[in-house]
Amino acid sequence: MSATLRLDGVGFSYGAEAALRDVSFEVAAGERVALLGRNGAGKTTLVRLVAGLLHPDAGTVWVGGWDTGERAPEELARRVGSLFQHADQQLFARTVREDVGFGPRALGFPVHEVRRRTEEALDALALHAHAEQHPYDLPPALRKLAALAGALALEPMVLVLDEPTGGLDRGLRAQVADALREHAERGAALLVVTHDLAFAAETLDRGIVLDGGRLACDEPLATLLGSAERLKPLGLVPPTVAALSVALDLSGRPVRERDAAHALARVAGGGPGL
Amino acid sequence: MRALHPFTLLAVAAALPALAWILPAPAGGLATAGIAFCLLGSRGLRRGLWPALVAAAPFWLFLLLLHDVRTTLAIGLRISTMVASFVWLAAVLAPDRLVEATVARGWSITAAYLFAATLSAVPMLRARARRIVEAQRCRGLSPRGSVANRLRALRALALPLVLSALHEVDERTLALEARGLVPGARRTPLAPPPDRVVERVVRWGLLLLCLAALVRRVA
Amino acid sequence: MTRLALEEVTFWYPATRAPALREVSLEVAAGEIVALVGKVGAGASTLLLVAADLAPRVTGGRLAGAVRRRARSGIVLPTPWTQLSGMAFTVWDEVAFGPANLGWPGHEIARHVDHALERLEIVSLAARDPITLSGGELQRVIVAGLLAMDPDLVLLDEPTAELDPAGARSMWRLLRLLAGEGKAIVVATSELDAVPDVADRVVWLEAGAVRAIGTPQLLAEDAACDDGLGTTVARIWRAAGLAPPYPLTVADAVQRWP
Repeated sequence: MSATLRLDGVGFSYGAEAALRDVSFEVAAGERVALLGRNGAGKTTLVRLVAGLLHPDAGTVWVGGWDTGERAPEELARRVGSLFQHADQQLFARTVREDVGFGPRALGFPVHEVRRRTEEALDALALHAHAEQHPYDLPPALRKLAALAGALALEPMVLVLDEPTGGLDRGLRAQVADALREHAERGAALLVVTHDLAFAAETLDRGIVLDGGRLACDEPLATLLGSAERLKPLGLVPPTVAALSVALDLSGRPVRERDAAHALARVAGGGPGL
Repeated sequence: MRALHPFTLLAVAAALPALAWILPAPAGGLATAGIAFCLLGSRGLRRGLWPALVAAAPFWLFLLLLHDVRTTLAIGLRISTMVASFVWLAAVLAPDRLVEATVARGWSITAAYLFAATLSAVPMLRARARRIVEAQRCRGLSPRGSVANRLRALRALALPLVLSALHEVDERTLALEARGLVPGARRTPLAPPPDRVVERVVRWGLLLLCLAALVRRVA
Repeated sequence: MTRLALEEVTFWYPATRAPALREVSLEVAAGEIVALVGKVGAGASTLLLVAADLAPRVTGGRLAGAVRRRARSGIVLPTPWTQLSGMAFTVWDEVAFGPANLGWPGHEIARHVDHALERLEIVSLAARDPITLSGGELQRVIVAGLLAMDPDLVLLDEPTAELDPAGARSMWRLLRLLAGEGKAIVVATSELDAVPDVADRVVWLEAGAVRAIGTPQLLAEDAACDDGLGTTVARIWRAAGLAPPYPLTVADAVQRWP
């Protein structure tokens, strides 16, 4: 058993329409991977396959040593935490706190363990101020955060998230980024579907791009995001930092804000204010 | 059957239960239930017959507990006709066509929408319930296994289903208002379903049939 | 010509003590794009609902101050899923839902619907069932449904949230095009880097009140950067310890660079 998450020649079709064709890749423990591609490239289908809500028509999805095609989603919940697009429909309880604890309770953890996981997840996303509110009383952005906290509380070996930052402001995005980094450091494999390439650049390391259901590219984000010519046919646009690095010819072509500021400061001779 | 005018479908779905109650039991009920289930049969077992049988079964059970066999048969067949007619109607009546047809007749759009929304509520709730169950399973709740498990899963589903539906109603109301669905709006029918002479004759025929049966019953 | 004027508008949602908007004054002219920026919960969505005459008329609640609207407005709310009519089995009919409710003659409806589909580049989706669409496709359909109603005042809440980067770019280009045709546009967005190229003015909201109104240059100021509302280029410039004024965009930075 090597990779935490492994896809082996995975294919899936909705009726006659192929959504994924022959997709293979591995994600190791602690690795932070962005799943990129234009609308309709097959990203959401892949998320549902990893969560066990769909079973591949061809190939296998492995989580640890488990074949997801042979496990029910509730069994996979011990290893996979997921966030889907309709965050609203992933909230079930009367308060945010109760909702975050839903997963650990359903998995049968003892009370003190449920409490520890719940409080840690609330902490990680700074949701304590809203813990006693009804999820639907929160604005959509915070509902998404609450649903994400519910996935974090599973403390899974794989976190697979569909657009975790849509509609979030910069402060909340930074919070999500911190929480994800922390879980990766504890050994979770991250697979994050996102259109937000700036967030991907800051938070994740490797980019897998799907195009028309096929794996179009798999490489470090640091090199991928700097190349406008390669991104364009995949429906992607370099994030601002990468564009700035190229435009000013900054050394090392940084894709993260902090690195770009350092490079800029070196060239300009000023001291970085970070 | 979906090609029929929505009013014709409504007329059939209304006439069958009406006749079931008017015609003498148990032959009348047997006939109407027979027709209704034949119509349903055309929709297939899973989408047509099965839901109707499941919905009608508890009524039979209660009737048997409360009444003798004759009464049970009489009322059970009538109720089965009602259930089967409604399930059939929900399966064949396309809400958008109904809206078009009613708007073409000069009904107010809000009344038509309300009526059609009631019909489309079932599939929408079903889709929502599926997404909630999926999300709950991904967080470890098993809807399978023992009866206790299933009951627990059902309880976990019921409240969020209702609450999220109510919550969405608020957002949807805003969206519909913004898209011109306001009281008193005169909507342009986009593609009013054709209403053939045969269908009108059938509808009037059904009405006359019900009236005749009623007159005969009372007389 | 002023399309929308808010004068000292304060708004409370039902059963809440604290107002969601506090003494907001704002005028939006024809042909102008105004961007609303701020943290989550700062009041941008509420301001749009008020501008669209949905708050308090539909939401309930209480409004103090005056709202003047000299235009037919249309709004796109943040979640596309809850905005489907539920009454259409094709994308074409979905987009036609609004225009039909306005009671326009059939050929007018068809013209506007076709045009809106072209503008959002979703002609190929016309025959699809809306419930089978992805989030990004759905977002385009909803915007098309708004444009097909030909509003003079276009209100958008996070219109690019579901779009891929290329799709987001087309959306911003489309807004400029619409403004060029004389529509007044108010857009709430968290995509700050897009604002300088799109908006004529920026309204910075904080806890329901207007903190500042100005040109997009506002997003390069220290105060905005401190609050997480600076553009990426401005933030990098500042973090590098370079002197203000900071450039707003990559193009600004290139000009500034020796």
